[in-house]
Amino acid sequence: MERRDFLKKTILAGVAASLSFDGLQAALSPSSSSNNLTVESVPDMVAVMGGEPAQLLERALKEMGGISKYIKKGQSVVIKPNIGWDKKPDFAANTNPELISALIKQCFQAGAKKVTVFDHTCDNWQRCYTNSGIENAVKAAGGTMLPGNDEVYYKTVSLPKGVKLKSTKIHQALIDADVWINVPILKNHGGAKMSIAMKNYMGIVWDRTYFHSNDLQQCIADICTWEKKPVLNIVDAYRCLRKNGPQGRAVSDTSLLKTLIISKDIVAADTAAIGLFNQVEKMDIAQVGHIAKGEQLKLGTQVLDRLNVKKIKL
Amino acid sequence: MKHSPLKITRIVLAILIFVPLLLFCCDFAHGLPRSFHALAHLQFTPALLSGSVIILVLLLLLTFLFGRIYCSVICPLGVLQDFLAKLNRGKKKRNNKRKREYRYTKPYNILRYSLLGLCIIFLIFGNITLLGWLDPYSNFGRIAVNIFRPVLVAGNNLIAWIAMQMHSYSFYHVTLHTVTVASFCFAFAALLLVAVLSVWRGRLFCNTLCPVGSFFSLISRFSLFRVKVDESKCTHCGLCAKSCKAECIDSKKGEIDHSRCVVCFNCLERCNKEHALHYTFAYSKPKSQSAPAPEQVKGMNRRAFLATSTALAATLPLLPAWAQSKKEIDPTKLTPITPPGSRSLKHFTERCTACHLCVTHCPMQIIKPAGFNFGIEYAFKPHLVYYEMAFCNYECTVCSQICPNGAIERLTRDEKQTTQIGIAQFEKSRCVVFVENTSCGACSEHCPVQAVRMEPYGDTGLTLPHVYDELCIGCGGCESICPVRPVKAINILANETHQTAIRPKEEKIEEVEELDFGF
Repeated sequence: MERRDFLKKTILAGVAASLSFDGLQAALSPSSSSNNLTVESVPDMVAVMGGEPAQLLERALKEMGGISKYIKKGQSVVIKPNIGWDKKPDFAANTNPELISALIKQCFQAGAKKVTVFDHTCDNWQRCYTNSGIENAVKAAGGTMLPGNDEVYYKTVSLPKGVKLKSTKIHQALIDADVWINVPILKNHGGAKMSIAMKNYMGIVWDRTYFHSNDLQQCIADICTWEKKPVLNIVDAYRCLRKNGPQGRAVSDTSLLKTLIISKDIVAADTAAIGLFNQVEKMDIAQVGHIAKGEQLKLGTQVLDRLNVKKIKL
Repeated sequence: MKHSPLKITRIVLAILIFVPLLLFCCDFAHGLPRSFHALAHLQFTPALLSGSVIILVLLLLLTFLFGRIYCSVICPLGVLQDFLAKLNRGKKKRNNKRKREYRYTKPYNILRYSLLGLCIIFLIFGNITLLGWLDPYSNFGRIAVNIFRPVLVAGNNLIAWIAMQMHSYSFYHVTLHTVTVASFCFAFAALLLVAVLSVWRGRLFCNTLCPVGSFFSLISRFSLFRVKVDESKCTHCGLCAKSCKAECIDSKKGEIDHSRCVVCFNCLERCNKEHALHYTFAYSKPKSQSAPAPEQVKGMNRRAFLATSTALAATLPLLPAWAQSKKEIDPTKLTPITPPGSRSLKHFTERCTACHLCVTHCPMQIIKPAGFNFGIEYAFKPHLVYYEMAFCNYECTVCSQICPNGAIERLTRDEKQTTQIGIAQFEKSRCVVFVENTSCGACSEHCPVQAVRMEPYGDTGLTLPHVYDELCIGCGGCESICPVRPVKAINILANETHQTAIRPKEEKIEEVEELDFGF
């Protein structure tokens, strides 16, 4: 290829790539608001207990009206698990890989064009991806693992509803995606007290140091006000990290709960998960400041009685 | 020109060692098998410092049998010089008039043996600064890691950027944090030096500055196989001298200085008309009348010997002064954190020649070359620097697996997890929880051994970090994530001698009884 040719093609490709996204897509894609208008009696939250991760997910999604209610044909999907730590699955520091694998398969069944998975890890990203078992699970299910290790992948977005955090850099893949699914694991957490669905948002941003030095709990609530909400929050409580979170020191820090909680309401999902957690380890929800702050920012409700909650034991 | 099979063998072997070693030094993606580090272990200085007797014996034997093959085949800096010289000379061949040719020169014995002697004396005193600065392998390592690697990374990032514009993440962007101004300048100076010397006069570096070359020259004088001049055939045309990059063939006299010959076989190829040069057993009975080569080799003459000894003796008084200077360093401010496996600052300083292999291979990019901040003896040697998102991974033992010098000794994962390289020092007056009254706990979050724990403080429900020294391993997880600037609220103070941390007791796994939803 001549140099001129190469340059031309590269520029064309670049232009083409930039054309196909952003404004156009936002206008065309079915946004979460249109989903809210459906009148079917779908529960606001489903909790399933007593099965393997894939079984739990299958049942829970069925009760939520099926995955195709949330993911449309041809959409590009980003799944955001917690892959923060260089730990094996038994340590419950990262989302269960079997769950991620099952979810990717569901997305493809719903006709997703592309399913990508990433996290801005706390430890070395390649080691986290590998040792969490998630990289293999994703590849086996036909998904794509993205790097999240460098600032070049992050783009600034504004958060007009944020109290302390007014703008931050979010991973490009998430900005480009049609829909995304938030798949945290239920964990105790040294700083934020608990790490569930809201705290999992910290893995989509580049600069976490800002969070820690500017009222962590408020910043967690603020980042959740980003206009592009996940279509589902799927809390992995198959094995939870009871103490010494977020990394855990040993398998003895974990408890096998074999539970999954799904909701569109992120505050409700976290509230329910803490209720479940309290059976194995005491945790006052008032200590988990970001949940109340999220409710104040109208991200959801802590009053589960107001919601249509479906609980199933397999 | 008919190629000499010996020369071709030499080139092929050299490439087989050089290319993998170069790639291993530049392997920013950590994609190559770790077994490649064996090539670094083959090098003389690392073998000497790590006490690898078998490799040392093999190298000495190799030199005694065949001459300084080491310099032509195994030494990556030697091969790099050949490559640089070739680049230049290859071009000028087209213009025959301007083509630079080598010519015989006399050896710089005083210089080379003084340097060698100094290196040895310092080494005996436990100071390897000079050896490290002159060592060919370490210089090659520094050049590859600090100059070639960034170039490769830049290329990778360009490709990754183009791919990203097409929404492909098959390549990932790499930001290098481990090339410092000092390490780059030092490596660049070394590259410039060997480039100039090799383009100008071939293997001049190897025969003047290089302590390894000088050491091998003492053995190669007596090597069993060597290039010999067949006096009956030699016409003293001088072609061989013109092709000799070691500038050690005196064609007029028909003599070869085997102390400088790196056995590259270029002369054999050049002397293809008369076939007057042969690589043969040195001590066979000569066919012609000329005396056997060994006697002709000019050893160090008396004058050179005296001058060398005097020069060495003159520097002796300097040694204690040098040795003392390190004691003046204030340990609380200026102690470098050495990698797990390096046992102590002393152990590490006495063995590391700063080849920077660990710098490339640290997956967390926390091993950085020092400047002169820890004194001249520690200059350019790597130390651990904890910064944003970068700390010593709890499960990782890479640096201890690849260090060829034995400066970082092999650790199992279990050993590493209890090796205390330093202890976290918490400063409450700077902590955001104390200053701002907001929750943080990032330090505790990142602690893999629960040595930093969040404990209740005041009646606000807030928790403040507390460090349990006996559990801390100094990995810097806490320091790396602490949001306080400019000085963090939690910092690792190096242990000059590494200690063993207590591994927390394993607790029993509790079975969950009768579980309900709980909400």
